[in-house]
Amino acid sequence: MFTDETLDALGVESLWRKSQQFAQESRGCQTWPVHTAEAEIQLLLNADNGTQTDPQDHLLYQLPFKGEFRPESPGLRDFLHRVEDIVVKELANNAKSHAFDGFDVNWEDPNETVSCIHCLQHPSAQEKGLQVTSISWSCTGSVIACAFGRVDDGDWSTEKSCVCTWNLDRRGLNPKRPDTVIDVARPVMSLSFHPSQPSLIAGGLYSGEVVVWDTNRTQDLILAQTGMSTDTHREPVYQVAWVPGPRRGEMVVLSAGSGGRVLLWTVDSDEGRLVLSAGFALVRQQVPHNSALSKNRGSSNVGVTSLALSPWDLDTFLVGSESGLVLKCSFSAQTLAAAPPDGESVTLRAPAQFSFSPRGGPVHSLHCSPFHRNLFVSVGTDGLAHLHSLLQPDPLLSLRVSDSYVFGVRWSPTRPLLFAAATGQGLVQIFDLGRKSLRPAATLDQLTGGQPVYCLEFNPRRKDLLAVGNADGSVNIWHLSTELTEQGPRETAKLEQLANEVAE
Amino acid sequence: RFSAVFIFSPKQAEVEETLKRIQTHKGVIGTIVVNAEGIPIRTTLDNSTTVQYAGLLHQLTMKARSTVRDLDPQNDLTFLRIRSKKHEIMVAPDKEYLLIVIQNPSE
Repeated sequence: MFTDETLDALGVESLWRKSQQFAQESRGCQTWPVHTAEAEIQLLLNADNGTQTDPQDHLLYQLPFKGEFRPESPGLRDFLHRVEDIVVKELANNAKSHAFDGFDVNWEDPNETVSCIHCLQHPSAQEKGLQVTSISWSCTGSVIACAFGRVDDGDWSTEKSCVCTWNLDRRGLNPKRPDTVIDVARPVMSLSFHPSQPSLIAGGLYSGEVVVWDTNRTQDLILAQTGMSTDTHREPVYQVAWVPGPRRGEMVVLSAGSGGRVLLWTVDSDEGRLVLSAGFALVRQQVPHNSALSKNRGSSNVGVTSLALSPWDLDTFLVGSESGLVLKCSFSAQTLAAAPPDGESVTLRAPAQFSFSPRGGPVHSLHCSPFHRNLFVSVGTDGLAHLHSLLQPDPLLSLRVSDSYVFGVRWSPTRPLLFAAATGQGLVQIFDLGRKSLRPAATLDQLTGGQPVYCLEFNPRRKDLLAVGNADGSVNIWHLSTELTEQGPRETAKLEQLANEVAE
Repeated sequence: RFSAVFIFSPKQAEVEETLKRIQTHKGVIGTIVVNAEGIPIRTTLDNSTTVQYAGLLHQLTMKARSTVRDLDPQNDLTFLRIRSKKHEIMVAPDKEYLLIVIQNPSE
């Protein structure tokens, strides 16, 4: 009757619990890359309108007109069409017209005379018989600094000297009392104000040291100095200058001395040190040869007595030597100097690239023309001023400045054809190349009783001031006449003509 | 895809040619075209000089024009010439543009 039976299991599906499988989303999928191709394009032509990496312009807006393709301005064509005829007619008339020939306007009363407005002295330096070796105007044009030392001393000098500054724009200017007196343990041979910071002065000493003073400080005015280390010059430093450094806005000090070294120093004001960053050594064997070089024995170093930076080409500088060589050098020269290494921290390079015809004696001063990129003037102990072009070895023009030595020469910052030279007879001769005669346009007698004039500098801001440093320890500030400071018509053209003459 | 369209049309070529004719005239140092807002749109000089000339001469031209019209409301400025020691600046004014030409007449 009753038998065992097994029944199949029954399954009842859940009503509330769903399978988790359904809520799956694809987060990502890997497919083969889709190939696209341009079948049709709406642009006819395209061009770059501007880039963001252009470092030079500081314009408020990018001017979109460089380049061939520009956005079309409506009506521009019609406008030009309307004005072209009248403009071309006026241009043609102007080119032929003599209506304004010789027409000059007097905006200011011309100053007819040249006068000495200040005679600055430092009595204690004068008592010691110190001479003014170098002067420099600050970048603002109101402060003149002068360095005292000796030029005629042959011996190693341990005499104390000083650097004095006068602010000419101050009301209570006392010519016999400098505003700042910086005592220096050695004679100072060269001086240079920083081109943008009016309180920094760099100086080169007789001992070979280079010092940077900060006249803003109250206590110790020395901002940085080289000290006597293996890097410093061993001979007097005859020229210091500020040159742009590797980083933007930074200036480094360049120093050149009679040891044949031209060194570049970075200012480390925290440590108070000048750190050697690059250096050049001028060695006789590496000077590019000119057939007229004499083969005299002596040290193989080319002692630097003067240096000039080119305002047109930041890479070029000119060097004048004790033996009369004038060399064109480059900051980016890569050849290693043949001088034996003397424990310097940087490898010295040979900068000379071109040699101009040598002079008969030491070249005391060189200056590049601020109006023509190829011209410079050099003076030395032979009493002549040579006007050179950078492109050829022989001078374009040779002017007799004086019968004795000539110690300094500077181009006028306002008149392209004018330069002034300081002589050993106590005169400053001003030459105007636009004149037919080779005699000086003006002679400024420093009234030093025949003692030499060692240095002169035009004021960079006020075009009518000229500062002259004398051997009797005084600095004369001259106010020049309008004739010597106002640029005449066609002066730049005449200078260009002069520069293009080929020396025969 | 759509970006700015620069079309080199015959009109453009004519503009360039006209400017070139003016620029190559005897003694011309530079040519600048300025729009009504004083912004230079064509130039043959460097950027900083152009911006200086454009700004200053635009203002001067507006002043010159208002001077002429104040003196006689029926009159208007047709041309402006500034003669200086070194060169002559000529400005041809218009409603929408300004043409500035700098010439050295003695060359």
